Amino acid sequence: MASNRMDRRTFLQVTAAGAAATAVVTQTGCLKYFEKGDGSAPPPLEVATACELCPNKCSVLAVVEGGVIRKLNPNPENPKSRGMLCARGNAAVKQVYDPDRLKQPLIRAGERGEGKWRAVSWDEAFDYAAKKLSEIKQKYGPEGTLWSSTEGFQEIFFKNLGSAFGSPNIVRHPTLCLASVNLAYSATFGTVPSFDLLNAEYVIMSGANRFEAIITPDTMDLIGSAMQRKAKLIYLDPRFTVTAAKADQWFPIRPGTDMAFILAMLNVIVGEGRYDKEFVATYTTGFDKLAEHVAQYTPDWAEKETGIPARDIVHIAREFADAAPRAVYYAGRRSSWYRNDFQMRRAQAILNAVVGNWDREGGMVPNAKIAMGEYLFLPWDDPKAGRVDELDKNFPLAAKGDGVYLKLRENVLAGKPYPVKGWMVYKQDPVNAMPDQAATLRMLKGMDFVGVIDIAMSDTAWFADVVFPESTYLERTDPIEAMPGIWPAVVFRQQVVKPIHDTKPNLEIVQGLAKRLELSDYFDYTMDQWVEAQAKDLPVKEPFEYLKKHGVLGIAEPKYGGTLTPDHRFVTKSGKIELFSERLGESGYDPLPVYKPPTDPRPGEFRMVLGRKGTFTHANQTNNPWLHEFYPENSLWLNPKPAANMGIKTGDMLEVSSMAGSVKIKALVTEEIRPDCVFMLHGYGKLAKWQSLVYGVGASDAVILETAWDEVSGNAAFHETFVKVRKV
Amino acid sequence: MAEKTKKRYALVIDSRKCINCKACVVACKAENGVPVGKFRNWITEERRGTYPHLLATFDPEQCQHCQNPSCVRVCPTGASWQREDGIVLVKFDDCIGCRYCMIACPYNARYFREDEGVVDKCTFCVQRVDKGKIPACVETCPSKVRLFGDLDDPDGALAQMLMTRRYLTKKSETGNGPQLYYLL
Amino acid sequence: MQTIEWGFLIVNYLFLGGLSAGIYFVSALATYLQEDGQPAYPRIARYGAMIAPWPVALGSFLLIFDLGNWYRFYKLFIHFKWQSPMSIGSWLLLVFTGVSFLYFWAWLPEEARKALFAKVPKRLAFLNRFDVDLSGWRRFLGMLGFPFSIGVGIYTGVLLGAVQSRPFWNTNLVAQMFLFSALSTGTAALILALSVNRKELDFKQLRFLYTLDICFITIEFFIVLPYLIHGKLSVLAVQDALKLILGGPYTFVFWVVFMLLGLLLPLGIELWEMAPAFLQKSAVHHNKRLASGAALLVLMGGYVLRYVFVYAGQVSAFK
Ligand SMILES: Nc1nc2c(c(=O)[nH]1)N[C@H]1C(S)=C(S)[C@@H](COP(=O)(O)OP(=O)(O)OC[C@H]3O[C@@H](n4cnc5c(=O)[nH]c(N)nc54)[C@H](O)[C@@H]3O)O[C@H]1N2
Ligand SMILES: Nc1nc2c(c(=O)[nH]1)N[C@H]1C(S)=C(S)[C@@H](COP(=O)(O)OP(=O)(O)OC[C@H]3O[C@@H](n4cnc5c(=O)[nH]c(N)nc54)[C@H](O)[C@@H]3O)O[C@H]1N2
Ligand code: SF4
Ligand code: SF4
Ligand code: SF4
Ligand code: SF4
Ligand code: SF4
Ligand SMILES: [Mo]
Repeated sequence: MASNRMDRRTFLQVTAAGAAATAVVTQTGCLKYFEKGDGSAPPPLEVATACELCPNKCSVLAVVEGGVIRKLNPNPENPKSRGMLCARGNAAVKQVYDPDRLKQPLIRAGERGEGKWRAVSWDEAFDYAAKKLSEIKQKYGPEGTLWSSTEGFQEIFFKNLGSAFGSPNIVRHPTLCLASVNLAYSATFGTVPSFDLLNAEYVIMSGANRFEAIITPDTMDLIGSAMQRKAKLIYLDPRFTVTAAKADQWFPIRPGTDMAFILAMLNVIVGEGRYDKEFVATYTTGFDKLAEHVAQYTPDWAEKETGIPARDIVHIAREFADAAPRAVYYAGRRSSWYRNDFQMRRAQAILNAVVGNWDREGGMVPNAKIAMGEYLFLPWDDPKAGRVDELDKNFPLAAKGDGVYLKLRENVLAGKPYPVKGWMVYKQDPVNAMPDQAATLRMLKGMDFVGVIDIAMSDTAWFADVVFPESTYLERTDPIEAMPGIWPAVVFRQQVVKPIHDTKPNLEIVQGLAKRLELSDYFDYTMDQWVEAQAKDLPVKEPFEYLKKHGVLGIAEPKYGGTLTPDHRFVTKSGKIELFSERLGESGYDPLPVYKPPTDPRPGEFRMVLGRKGTFTHANQTNNPWLHEFYPENSLWLNPKPAANMGIKTGDMLEVSSMAGSVKIKALVTEEIRPDCVFMLHGYGKLAKWQSLVYGVGASDAVILETAWDEVSGNAAFHETFVKVRKV
Repeated sequence: MAEKTKKRYALVIDSRKCINCKACVVACKAENGVPVGKFRNWITEERRGTYPHLLATFDPEQCQHCQNPSCVRVCPTGASWQREDGIVLVKFDDCIGCRYCMIACPYNARYFREDEGVVDKCTFCVQRVDKGKIPACVETCPSKVRLFGDLDDPDGALAQMLMTRRYLTKKSETGNGPQLYYLL
Repeated sequence: MQTIEWGFLIVNYLFLGGLSAGIYFVSALATYLQEDGQPAYPRIARYGAMIAPWPVALGSFLLIFDLGNWYRFYKLFIHFKWQSPMSIGSWLLLVFTGVSFLYFWAWLPEEARKALFAKVPKRLAFLNRFDVDLSGWRRFLGMLGFPFSIGVGIYTGVLLGAVQSRPFWNTNLVAQMFLFSALSTGTAALILALSVNRKELDFKQLRFLYTLDICFITIEFFIVLPYLIHGKLSVLAVQDALKLILGGPYTFVFWVVFMLLGLLLPLGIELWEMAPAFLQKSAVHHNKRLASGAALLVLMGGYVLRYVFVYAGQVSAFK
């Protein structure tokens, strides 16, 4: 790790958080301690809260000294975060003291995306936004507005504002993320279970890169069991990820063929009668149809599709069945992969079902949830207009509340079935999160009004008319959040320090807008009232006080087998686990997963695949100096074989282009990817100058990703893009 | 105080569990105000093989709090010193910034602080350890790769572990007596 | 994190320290050797005494300047760490610099001294108390300084050699290498001083310097040689370290600039200059250009040697 003399910028960053000072204290301080006993400074106070830098919501103990956040420590009381904080969680301090962050409300002064801003008072920002939204309501009706957001404790207020405003167009991140996997498991089990990786003895993961894409407690449980030789880990991924490096076996599967692998496993397990006969008989329907269906999918056939040797498939299938019920084929989280993703996940679910790992220790466990109260606010009437993404027509089975993002963008751009001219965004960066950035920018520019609520100047905010700076999570109190799982918990995010800039928590932003939109009646409560209402039913004495003190209430003892009574009704049409799904059939989809081979990239083309790094969340945090320094710039992974053919060396500047667009990015020639794939890290090549560390550095994958989605769930299909690579 | 009762602090490291997530590095930055671009701890990556036969390993590294620390030996002012419990520290007030200790450290575990004109390094988080807590990097790790404790405590977790597990130490040939024990 | 912490300031410091040590040593020798009660080589002695203190003074200044906290340098002298070469070295330097200034004073010509004190303003009359004649002490001071000059010469090598973490340095030959390089650069400096001097060359004294330098260079050569041989035959870490000058980035500088131009070529020149003196008992060739050329090459060689060691050494490490 080469270190160099500190340049001015980094020096400023050091001093920015008063870090330089603290370090001196560290060394001489310990000396003083040694000589004169501890210093006279007032004891630092510890505030229990919950991390916000990714969906895991780990519990944090924030150490505050003289009003400054000194350190964020993990809170071991949380049974999900298992006493850890990842790199991002630790770097959250920098989010608060980041010189680049949003410091006050802004109104656009120049062209959209030009970056000319006018700092304004909250009143002016609210008035302006309310005026614009009302005008749009006048002209196009409430359905002329779009309210998009990504999960977060205060997201509910934002969604409610959209609904109260009368818009049917609430769209959330799931159809960029996990809609297909959720839908597939619901279609099969009537619910989306968790996987007991702490006790599993045989784990198959296809492209669930758990050791870089951190999910609690799965990441920690799996590394423990795998490395202590408790569990065998089989990993399928076109890239040699950290998870691949830790796996007992890694197969660089041919992209888009996971279903072939799964069906062949089923073929073996069913054919050799290795499935859990009793379980199948008691709890499932459609086994005979399944048996008949999978007979065609032989291991030899699958070998041709996947590139995984037939004998390995057979071997894995047998080991898997023998290890059951302590065997899981892990569902995966980001299932925004291919057009047939839903059916591929269905095949997983079915495979898991037939070996009978359902609701068993070391298997697949329906989520437990800690019961919690809720604040009863004044309800509003349902929107008159239908959704602009025409969900019922296009995706009858998709989750109504979330919408389908890409179909929505298509319709908005086409102005059908009706025009949408206002866009409010909360805690989301669609400019980078959606494929085909050009289309997203067209959509932004087509709007009469765009309002963004963020903590940083995201690329989306960069194209907004009004930017509302929310206080960072360490500066605000959020609602209590129930975290379902095998180890369920409720976590509480409470304010650690007062806002250091002119920012507000989302609730106050929503209320500020509501007031001017004459919707205040629906939001006439305070955060405390809301939280107390939630807390009151919790199974502890003085629940609110308890949460303030502990920050989390968790259940450390998992319960298994609650659903394993013959009379248990699964939330499916048949009340059983549906191997064969009539409901799918009725909606015009394959009731059993039918394999469709993917097309291969033409010569000279590569399939673009996506993936995470442990140090960043999505397109976010690459501008955090404590994380950025690990990967200052992204580059294009390219296998040495094709690289040699094209005379490309690491560091060469490349032009990577698809039908959606093209970017310039440096090459990283590495053995750690299939010769027919390329990969680049998300979150670089930012358009917003206020992302100073990554503005124009590297490239944004969103520019070249083409638009495609899974036909059933509408989930984005991010891995369907072929790119051309050229040395420039 | 910790350093009066005879102790010998050390780390046992199970690198196989390391997922190169950098949490320990950032935790150290935050806990000890390590400047951007400087590191008290880091992850050494080894990558080998040709597709599809590949290997990647990750070794967390930091100051070894050596038994015979060459950094302390060469320090002309005594600014670099070692506590009875083995923790090697720098008295900033006595450090003239000659950087001889950096050159003398076989593990390159020290860094120069331009802002202070002194040399800095891993302190085993004395400020935490002396209050009975464990170091920041040890605590925050998702896979609990590091085990911190007292070697001289015969029935402590460390001693036990080293009695029953095979391990290696790095660059022992320098005679520094490294105190990071890497499990095999 | 591997970093180059010691740069040119340190190279200069090591070079200048050695230079003074060498000059002092030769000058003191010239004072010590007597012919009928008088120094055998008066001019060498005087020039040496006049020059010796300055390089080391400058070098120490550079060292202090290189510190992260230069104003804390005094801390070097409120601690004594017998295990720290730098601590010992600092004390050595302090004493040596002191002695060499006294020695300078002792050799300062009467009239020069008087001229100096003539300038002292009334207010500072007390300064005149320092107007003392030490010329009687020259021989004593010279001998007193011997051990310190050698000490300083060796120290510049020990500073690096005593670092077991850097295989490139950590051999028992580096100290000697630096000592004899120091002596030879010192001698060269005096050769230069004598030959650039307007007056025609003084064969006797020049021959003395040549003889010394030829010895120093030869010994240095026979230290560098085993350094390389031992290295190649040593443990892997040392072998790897040597790769830095055997094919590595410092190969050219070491072999061409140091070995060839800085060591062997001047040796050759000096031998050629001395040839007549060896063969028939006559004077040396007296070629000012050659003499000063050889001297300059030696000085350059000495500097490059330290450059290579300071830089390559820091890069070398155990695997
Ligand atoms: N190319 C590509 N696209 C992807 C993915 C990919 O891997 N590659 N991943 C997909 C997946 S799985 C997902 S879940 C989505 C995620 O898509 P996004 O939700 O857009 O993810 P982020 O990039 O994290 O953007 C989050 C935004 O919220 C802001 N933010 C963070 N904290 C707060 C807060 O407390 N308050 C407010 N108001 N704002 C905050 C951040 O500054 C950032 O601008 O992306 C999807 N799209
Ligand atoms: N550090 C960190 N952790 C995170 C997040 C983060 O941003 N950063 N985000 C969180 C969120 S919102 C989500 S959704 C999850 C996402 O976590 P994951 O579901 O693990 O998703 P990715 O990290 O995108 O990993 C997808 C992997 O699939 C591989 N892949 C691509 N095509 C194929 C294929 O055809 N077959 C197979 N078998 N593999 C393929 C890619 O190479 C990549 O390694 O992570 C969560 N955790
Ligand atoms: S995984 Fe990391 S970023 Fe996500 S919540 Fe936990 S600590 Fe925060
Ligand atoms: S925190 Fe643990 S797993 Fe992550 S890099 Fe450090 S040692 Fe490895
Ligand atoms: S590792 Fe280096 S810095 Fe740490 S004690 Fe050993 S020699 Fe000193
Ligand atoms: S830099 Fe400071 S600690 Fe290191 S040797 Fe010099 S004085 Fe000692
Ligand atoms: S022990 Fe403390 S100082 Fe040392 S590396 Fe870990 S966190 Fe940093
Ligand atoms: Mo996601």
